Amino acid sequence: MAFNKNSNGYTFLFAILMVVLVGAILAFTSLSLKPMQKANAAEKKMMNILGAIGVPSERGAVEAKFVDFVKERVSIDSEGRKVGSRSGTVEAGDAEDPFNINVQKDFRSKADASTLNFPLFACNKEGQDLYVVPVVGKGLWGPIWGYVALESDMETIYGAVFDHKTETPGLGAEIKEGFFQDPFKGKKISKVAPHFEVVKGGAPTTEYSVDGITGGTITSKGVGEMVDRTMSIYLKYFQSAPKAQK
Amino acid sequence: MEYLSLFVKGIFVENMIFAYFLGMCSYLAVSKTVKTAVGLGFAVIFVLGITVPINYLLENFVLKEGALTWLSPEYATVDLSFLSYIMFIAVIASMVQLVEMIVEKFAPALYGALGIFLPLIAVNCSILGGALFMQERQYPSIGEATIFGLGSGVGWLLAIVAIAAIREKIRYSNIPAPLKGLGITFILTGLMGMAFMAFMGIEI
Amino acid sequence: MSTETTTAVEPKRESLFSKKNRKLLTDPLDDSNPITVQVLGICSALAITVQVQQAVIMSLAVLFVMIGGNVIVSMMRNIIPDRIRIIVQLVVIASLVIIVDEVLKAYSPDISEKLSVFVGLIITNCIIMGRLEAFALGNKPGPAMLDAVGNAMGYAWILLAVALVREVFGSGAISFPGVGQVKFLPEGWFMANGGFYENNNLMILPPMALITVGIIIWIQRSRNRSLIEEN
Repeated sequence: MAFNKNSNGYTFLFAILMVVLVGAILAFTSLSLKPMQKANAAEKKMMNILGAIGVPSERGAVEAKFVDFVKERVSIDSEGRKVGSRSGTVEAGDAEDPFNINVQKDFRSKADASTLNFPLFACNKEGQDLYVVPVVGKGLWGPIWGYVALESDMETIYGAVFDHKTETPGLGAEIKEGFFQDPFKGKKISKVAPHFEVVKGGAPTTEYSVDGITGGTITSKGVGEMVDRTMSIYLKYFQSAPKAQK
Repeated sequence: MEYLSLFVKGIFVENMIFAYFLGMCSYLAVSKTVKTAVGLGFAVIFVLGITVPINYLLENFVLKEGALTWLSPEYATVDLSFLSYIMFIAVIASMVQLVEMIVEKFAPALYGALGIFLPLIAVNCSILGGALFMQERQYPSIGEATIFGLGSGVGWLLAIVAIAAIREKIRYSNIPAPLKGLGITFILTGLMGMAFMAFMGIEI
Repeated sequence: MSTETTTAVEPKRESLFSKKNRKLLTDPLDDSNPITVQVLGICSALAITVQVQQAVIMSLAVLFVMIGGNVIVSMMRNIIPDRIRIIVQLVVIASLVIIVDEVLKAYSPDISEKLSVFVGLIITNCIIMGRLEAFALGNKPGPAMLDAVGNAMGYAWILLAVALVREVFGSGAISFPGVGQVKFLPEGWFMANGGFYENNNLMILPPMALITVGIIIWIQRSRNRSLIEEN
């Protein structure tokens, strides 16, 4: 070896070069791929919202369906007052668009609810008015989230989809599956606390609760908690908003 | 007391080995005698206790979105979280290099006994796991993050010392030859894991 | 391994598939299996063996990162300073994994969703780091690549075996990447439908993975007595 690779000077130089090179490669990769990643994430969000109202969609053909079914996107504050509205195509850079409110990030930041705005998606499917509420919470291992669709009386659940990042496969992860989500249809959000519950398997369910997953108690209870907590805010808007009588 | 709750949770309810099954490689390989197990356990406590707070500072002042606002308000939208893995690992690897040098100088017998598993602390899933849990849970203060790190380390020490003690005792039991050593250790760990499941979900 | 003792003759370039190199591919399947003999890569063997499709995806990801890591570090082996070699190895592994993750998030978001859980686990997979330290640092890129493939295969077969046992007994199904879970037991067998069978839910939980690996070790060492540990 012509040079001493273990000398202090060389070690230092190597370390610095490596940091610069790796930093540059990673930054370049991340920055150049970010627009595509954001577009994919937005598409998934649209697919989930459509899923809550029972409209299936495939990647690549989502945006048109979204604009078609979601008539208006509304944002409300923690007191239930309407603060913003958008309709038509979503501009990715439009910070005022309720679609671009990142509910997961807001939840993680543990900011006080009074400082946050909450999105609501007013949809119309085959003549029926539906309202989709994003919910976000904590599972056993990581974050869980979902979208709950309410009928025009803003009380009866039309459908719900849930998702997670790292819940236990076969147990908590099953909140993504139909057998957990289907029983939500037809249930109601109660006007008094608790607004909704997910009860442990075996316990009797009411029109304000569904069965949890056996073996996935913590994740299931996490779903119940997030629906309950989120609805307590949205109920303030629902009580004052004009709605159809069932 | 939040601190006590975090500490106790780290030892029992959220034990790195028995609840999350992180850090198994060194746990299985270095648990032949209680002495080496204790040595490695303390090394893990030290590394966790130092790297979790350092990574906490990194996370909150450099990495997460808006973290760089102390440099200048215009950096509020900068999100460096894609660098999280690399930076956490760099911190951990440097700490482990430091521990390696200390152990080699002050306890050469332990250094020889630990072999490759001392530098492997750097990839010990429980250390990176500690950093990632801290990032996921967003502890409100560096104190809580540190207590979480220390508690997790103590939990890891408890697990490895327990299995080492059992392994020392069963050396004189009639275990079938193919199961001796590693095989029976896996089965024992599985049984201990089942026992620790009793702690799951306990709110302290 | 034979040692050549010629001195004046120039060493022949070893063919990529010479006997010595082929052992690199076959040894890790049994004699030096990364999980059951070298005791590396255990964490993922427990976490990602609930479903066969997870084990398949993880094995492919590990294979890719190992080949990349082994070849890169082997090419750099003569210029890495000793004192920071662990950090350098880790940085190489972490960068590879992050790049793979970022590219997947952009071009195959559905696969990326399934894989994002594993990203952290791949970086800390002791097998990858262990082989860099034990082999790639001291050998040429060609053999290093074979070592990577051999160890990745040794890791993969254990993972698939454990996943098969856990999924079949724990969920009564087998899953395939892209297809999802395929339940193969007749619905009528299950107790909920008046039958006699219940899935063994304990199989889905991590302790059973440990016990399953323990039994695999038992079987392996019964067949290969050279691996038995004498106290």
